Amino acid sequence: MGIVRTNKTMKRLEQMLDDAIEGQFQEDNYDETELSRLESRWKQYLSSSRLSVEAARRERSEIKAILSDISHQTKTPLANIILYSELLKEQPLTPEGEAIAEQLHAQAEKLEFLIKALVKMSRLESDILEVVPRKQPLRPLVENAVKDAKARAEEKSITILEPDFDGIEAVFDLKWTEEALFNILDNGIKYSPKYSTITVSVKEYTMYVCIGVADEGPGIPEEERNRIFGRFYRSAGNQQEEGVGIGLYLAREIVKKNDGYIKAGPGTEKGSLFEIYLGKGV
Amino acid sequence: MAVLKTENLKKYYGKDAILVKALDGIDLSVEKGEFLSIVGTSGSGKSTLLHMLGGLDRPTEGTVYVDGKDIFALKDEELTIFRRRKIGFIFQSFNLVPVLNVYENIVLPIELDGNPVDKAFVKEVIKTLGLSEKTYSLPSQLSGGQQQRVAIARALASKPAIILADEPTGNLDSATSQDVLSLMKITSQRYGQTMVMITHNEGIAQLSDRIVRIEDGKVIGKGGESHA
Repeated sequence: MGIVRTNKTMKRLEQMLDDAIEGQFQEDNYDETELSRLESRWKQYLSSSRLSVEAARRERSEIKAILSDISHQTKTPLANIILYSELLKEQPLTPEGEAIAEQLHAQAEKLEFLIKALVKMSRLESDILEVVPRKQPLRPLVENAVKDAKARAEEKSITILEPDFDGIEAVFDLKWTEEALFNILDNGIKYSPKYSTITVSVKEYTMYVCIGVADEGPGIPEEERNRIFGRFYRSAGNQQEEGVGIGLYLAREIVKKNDGYIKAGPGTEKGSLFEIYLGKGV
Repeated sequence: MAVLKTENLKKYYGKDAILVKALDGIDLSVEKGEFLSIVGTSGSGKSTLLHMLGGLDRPTEGTVYVDGKDIFALKDEELTIFRRRKIGFIFQSFNLVPVLNVYENIVLPIELDGNPVDKAFVKEVIKTLGLSEKTYSLPSQLSGGQQQRVAIARALASKPAIILADEPTGNLDSATSQDVLSLMKITSQRYGQTMVMITHNEGIAQLSDRIVRIEDGKVIGKGGESHA
């Protein structure tokens, strides 16, 4: 008799856990048994843990709202600051005044870039802008990103070598992934010396395709290779370079949302090699 | 919190003049969700280390904590059960059961444990690993790469605390290897699965979050500490 009851209790306990995992636990028994008391306590615990999960979610969405408010509200004054700094530069100024106006303009533009990146980041993280991967040709992705990057590369007389390929398809969101690839190219341009070469390559595997970006820059020390994808991370040796440390972070988040991944390693001879892996959806 | 931690881990074989120090004081810490590579030449002690981490062999000295539990304080029978629930293995030689189909191989460790199978999760893992069409095939009908993908699915299916992979691409050609590695990376990313991979190949190790190098039974450099 005792064994039968124990078995029944164990069954009920397991049922309670299963229901809790599914998120639909209800108290069944109201009597003077241990089991009934246990059910009540179990219900209390589940309710309080659900409350704290909800509180955390609410807090997170509030932070996102504040972030987007800040970016929205600063847009107009910032655009005005940039405009006025341009007007100021056209005024007759002392050489010192000119230098300061130039600085003012540069800093305001940097702030504008930073705020734009923050908005993009918060939208991506809060899933307001959804990444919708679908199977499509890889060629437009590579072509568009390289075209955008070439303008910047020219300023430093850097050559970008494009791969020649056709007929390869992968699963990705064109607009966002283009941004990810552009950010990686942009990062390569930023840290590469003048007159160097950046080589873009495409390799095809059975289940994945790999877009490689190899530069001739200083390379990344091994212990930093994972951290460079962190938010606002700047390499200690590269503080003088323009930028806020958001491009690679965004790139990795975007590629992750496409169910791919990014790998950073040393180049074959020098520099670094970034690789974006995207699924072929086979 | 570290999901895996070793303290002063030592494994000696033989004694006196023929004493071999396979592991000589390893301190290692792996955070939840981290993808760690352990790199070393053959004879460096990396396989011995993996056997210790997986509770397959007992150390001469030192401790291994998995999910905060000192695994060598467990009795042999307890350790077997602990291993089945908390650790997923991926071996070079796939180790699939030849008479069971892909699905049966994947859910075998869960069923051995007498637990209900999370069918939706298993189905999703099978799809992620590109095995949907092979669900009812036998291992002998699969290529090497496909067999290793089944082994990855089997390791993932029970949602273990850690997956230990010993030269997972050792028996595969380089193109197939790349796919298997990509899938390991993607699954670790998507499911927040902690993975520790042993390899002698630096290039393969590059895709992990952190590389620990082992030489003569010791960690060289500062890779042992987590900076995740």
